[in-house]
Amino acid sequence: MQHTVRLVVPEAQMSQVAVETTKRAVASGGIRLGVLDNSKGNADHLLRFIVEGVKALLPVASVLTLRKESVSLPAPDALLDQLAGGADYVISAMAD
Amino acid sequence: MANLAQLLNQPGASIEATDDFDTINRLIWDKGWGDGLPIVPPTEARVAAMLEYCDRPWNEPIAKVPPRWGEATPLLLAANAVMAGCEPRYFPLLMLAIEAMCEEPLNLYGVQATTHLCAPLVIVNGPIVQELNINGGHNAFGPGFQANATIGRAIRLSLLNIGGAIPGLGDMSTFGSPAKYSYVVAENEVASPWAPLHVERGFTATTSAVTVIGAECPHNINDHESLTPEGILMTIAGSMGVAGCNDIYYKAQPLVIMGPEHAQTVAAGFTKAEAKRFLQQHATVLVRQFSQENVDRRIRVTFKDRLANPKPDDVVYVVREPEDLLIAVVGGAGKHSAFVPTFGATLPVTRALKTANGELARSVEDFRRR
Repeated sequence: MQHTVRLVVPEAQMSQVAVETTKRAVASGGIRLGVLDNSKGNADHLLRFIVEGVKALLPVASVLTLRKESVSLPAPDALLDQLAGGADYVISAMAD
Repeated sequence: MANLAQLLNQPGASIEATDDFDTINRLIWDKGWGDGLPIVPPTEARVAAMLEYCDRPWNEPIAKVPPRWGEATPLLLAANAVMAGCEPRYFPLLMLAIEAMCEEPLNLYGVQATTHLCAPLVIVNGPIVQELNINGGHNAFGPGFQANATIGRAIRLSLLNIGGAIPGLGDMSTFGSPAKYSYVVAENEVASPWAPLHVERGFTATTSAVTVIGAECPHNINDHESLTPEGILMTIAGSMGVAGCNDIYYKAQPLVIMGPEHAQTVAAGFTKAEAKRFLQQHATVLVRQFSQENVDRRIRVTFKDRLANPKPDDVVYVVREPEDLLIAVVGGAGKHSAFVPTFGATLPVTRALKTANGELARSVEDFRRR
């Protein structure tokens, strides 16, 4: 009969923290849509198609499109603050 | 502080398995916790031995590892170190390397997740090199030295199991790289005519330190003919200047590894700073060597101040400033050097080996629990 042995699990467990989503006060004129272009080739074209698709489905009051300078680095805080202040929803993380 | 048995009684911290090498390896593989090679079973006893060389609380994270942002606790790192085949006395260096690569300038999220084939390269300097017998001489990037092989493998297993750099999920590299199995090397300080890398980056020679770089594999540079400093440097510069190099598009800090023979020749006429200046000036790519699409979409944009309307013989510099270039002396005899391009959107991080109370460590024995 073979013995058993206790092994240490080497894997980090996924975070189980519950996050409360922000209540968005969307104005009656429609959503303020934000777009974060990651600057990959063709991301701008794809995002434009997505925005058109959203507009066909939902009332959109405004579209705020911003572009990261580097695809490989995080968006700077100032850019994220601009999106947070000017958009109810943001489409991001597109790549070619 | 909680003891190991208490920590392993936490939900998900341990599993029971039949005490059989093949069965455990199949289990580890089925769980997705391996790198494709057989592992040493991370038993409670082996992990306890590893943690003998840890002077910090075993369940408190020393870093969060992207892209999963898993918490790198000494306990998890010790399990990965055991699996990799590390000796317990290697553990302080693994902890140091993980801490260094999780510092913001390295952009580990990008290094881990990119389609590029980079991996964190760890260059070790100082007394710990001799203490742990880390190879910086012949075949320094190759097999044959337990510390290089297993510390590097433990880093990769940690990046997989804690950071979630799972191929095709958290690691989207088009090709991957042999360097993603293990990528640890020492600088050959004895054979170097210049100050060691960690001294150049602000530490004393007697400090043990790691420098981590988000790097490609070394690209060999053969020059058996040049007998002058300028000749060697011209060959190195000519080997750095290629159109597909990531470093061109960022204010990056790539690495030139000089073999000791090349370094001695160069040092006969150049300080390290002068060698960097020469290489920065001569490591170039002509505009006509780029495709027109790259000129239009990247060169004109990235270098809009100087190359908005480039001529075919205008030059693009691989490195923007001389001080952006790193030089280290590695390897054994032979007239070779190597260029190590980086991911580009990453900067090297150098960090000293310190104990939990913040004092510089003189030996890995300083970390041993008493």
